[in-house]
Amino acid sequence: MNILKLKKIRKHFNGVLALDNLSLDIKAEGITGIVGPNGSGKTTLINILSGCESLDGGTIIIDDSLRSKKMRAYENSIFGITRTFQEIRLFEQMTVLDNVLVVLTEKNVLGAIFEKHGEYHLMKAEELLKVVNLWEKRNELAINLSYGQRKLLEITRALSTDAKIYLFDEPFAGLFPEMIKTVMKIIKKLKEEGKTVILVEHNMLLMRELCDEIVVMDNGKLLSKGKPEEVLNKKKVLDVYLGK
Amino acid sequence: MEYFIHIGIVFFIYAILAVSLNLVVGYTGLLSLAHAAFFGIGAYATAILLTKYNINFFVSAGVGMGLAGMASLFIGIVLSKFKDDYYALASLGFNVIVCSFFINLDSITGGVIGIPGIKKPSFFGLEIHSNFAYLILALVFFVIIFLVSRFIVQSSFGRALRAIRDDENALAVFGYKVLNFKLVIFVISAMMAAIAGSLFASYITYIDPSIFTITESVFILTIIILGGLSSLRGSLLGALFLILLPEYLRILGLPNDTAAQVRQIIYGLALIFLMLYRPKGLVGEYEMK
Amino acid sequence: MDMLTQIIFNSLIAGAIYALVALGFNLIYGATKFFNFAHGSIAIAGGYATFYFNKILGVDVYLSVLLGILCAGFLGYISNKLVFSPLRKKKSSHMIFMVASLGILIVIQAVISLIFTSEFQTLSSSLASSKKYIFLTGIITKTQLILFLSVLLIMGLLVLVLKKTMLGKTISAISDSEEIARNIGINSNRVISYVFVIGSAIAGVAGIFVGFDTGISPTMGMSLLLKGVIASIIGGVGNVYGGVLAAFMLGLIENFGVWNFSGEWKDAISFAVLILFLLFRPQGMFGKK
Repeated sequence: MNILKLKKIRKHFNGVLALDNLSLDIKAEGITGIVGPNGSGKTTLINILSGCESLDGGTIIIDDSLRSKKMRAYENSIFGITRTFQEIRLFEQMTVLDNVLVVLTEKNVLGAIFEKHGEYHLMKAEELLKVVNLWEKRNELAINLSYGQRKLLEITRALSTDAKIYLFDEPFAGLFPEMIKTVMKIIKKLKEEGKTVILVEHNMLLMRELCDEIVVMDNGKLLSKGKPEEVLNKKKVLDVYLGK
Repeated sequence: MEYFIHIGIVFFIYAILAVSLNLVVGYTGLLSLAHAAFFGIGAYATAILLTKYNINFFVSAGVGMGLAGMASLFIGIVLSKFKDDYYALASLGFNVIVCSFFINLDSITGGVIGIPGIKKPSFFGLEIHSNFAYLILALVFFVIIFLVSRFIVQSSFGRALRAIRDDENALAVFGYKVLNFKLVIFVISAMMAAIAGSLFASYITYIDPSIFTITESVFILTIIILGGLSSLRGSLLGALFLILLPEYLRILGLPNDTAAQVRQIIYGLALIFLMLYRPKGLVGEYEMK
Repeated sequence: MDMLTQIIFNSLIAGAIYALVALGFNLIYGATKFFNFAHGSIAIAGGYATFYFNKILGVDVYLSVLLGILCAGFLGYISNKLVFSPLRKKKSSHMIFMVASLGILIVIQAVISLIFTSEFQTLSSSLASSKKYIFLTGIITKTQLILFLSVLLIMGLLVLVLKKTMLGKTISAISDSEEIARNIGINSNRVISYVFVIGSAIAGVAGIFVGFDTGISPTMGMSLLLKGVIASIIGGVGNVYGGVLAAFMLGLIENFGVWNFSGEWKDAISFAVLILFLLFRPQGMFGKK
């Protein structure tokens, strides 16, 4: 079953097309990798799917419901989408624990003022932070963590939502091998739990190991799509990567 | 003794102003320079209702809160379109606009001259005559507002406010309608400032538009920056420090007018030195971005 | 005498003063990207310096004007040297710059009041202002005529400096991107220091003319600055010509507005215009979307 159906989506910035009538289906309950050279539109695609950028044209169907062209970021929770950012965006001057709790707790004003499930959320946060070894650091400010810890915290923050679709924009970039293993474990577990993961990443070895399907983008268009071993050996894909 | 009671009352009024402004500036990261406008709305509502219509103080304070709430809702919606320095500039503009209303609606506000002879509050027919009783009244209001503020900043709502301050677009990704949060805290803060205004008007018994200008907004901002953004304790510290300052100057024996200017110079220098050497203030937990 | 012509004349004079403030503000904002609230008080300080040399020390009028301009430039220089330059070294955020400049504004304002009292001071009798010209159907004084012509002259000079000289080119390089400018070997600290001196000196001219035209008081700096800021935003921040044109427009709007309402609404009107502009055309009148 396809959980995401993109039909001829278009997005331009100052006249430059970042997404050029891109049509793409993404399977549910699997890991889809998106690769392509810099500027091929990968991050733009993630931004559009998560409502961080508006859409110029085309349609997006998520889980059989049509998404409006002007979807706002806060509607992510309705469609069960969550994400991380290529350049880490934590709540810098808040503690590690608060960075996770803010995603777990009530999202409407009254509910948030009169929070009823504080204890439960705290337990949940503990469970999540222990996976990435950040529970000990829960009272430190996010700004004071190391780069790798910040990356892990951002992934944990995304996991704190109850989403169906996880968009990870370069989750492995700049991580030490130990941390890469942790993130891989997290992503594999998501798949086991029946979630859909969309991954933008440059590390092809990791992509081969993780992904069920690879989408290659170039100049805002779909270049190729299929199983990793097939796609990554195709000549035209290699050409794009080697800059021919 | 009377003198310390006076200091106490002024302190509580400014502590209310500081704590409420900190909710917006320190916790939500919105650099509002319009706080004196809401302070003024509360003061004028009470002054007018008390002197012209002989309405009970508490009712007048309620009306002041209501008016400040409505004004701040409108202003907050407009301000929500702006960020950072433009936010500060536009909020300052609203302070000026509100002040022009105080000046120009002279049939009800008394124009530039203002409103003299404002009565003291009465409580179930019992007029609060002594300053000591007034101190208790101010204390009660202060404690209520402080506790409400503390409850807010410690709640999930308060956590969301701090997240808005750090990165509102990232927060929206996780399902928050950020605008609602910003508006609610802005309105709550303005209503608190209005209460301070009501207390001020009936205590000082005389108000005019010059009290509620942007200079006053900057003064309240100085209090919370000195004490520390994102810290309620800091706001109390800042208010205490800056309220006591003119009293120190009095000890030095400067003439009144000179003392007022020297005070301003110290406020200004305090802002400059804080920005240069301690942008977090005395006990603040947030550094402006 | 025709009302309409007179209003247009008054608008042109007001516009000329706002244009000067906007010119300096734009120059500084372009290079440093923060709202310098001290700008207006530096303008007024220039006016007071001229007042001091001319009225108190009895120095020749033209020399006093020159000294006043130099004083304003010097204030710009030291505010950068002591406050903004260290903040730049610490890579402080724009908000911190802005709050520090608020501090400078308060200090300058208070120091002026301390020396010259808060009274209104005027320079007018120093320059044969009694001489009036009937022009078309309105009256314009000699001072106003000189003011108007000087603004055109200063504008022309500034444009020449910005377009033709090496300094002008480095300034625009820094305005585009300080980082790139530094990478290609421009000593940005020195250039920014020049920018502060030139921008503040131009503001000083405005302050001096206000002194001649209507008279000055210590707190006028803020509203003068706001007019300049509003003009530069309406004209498109960083757009020198746009700022000047918008300054004249602002003068017109204000004076026609006052004709219909009352004088006290002046500031409120200019702010309302500013907020509307920020809401619907944030890129300014002439900017591209």
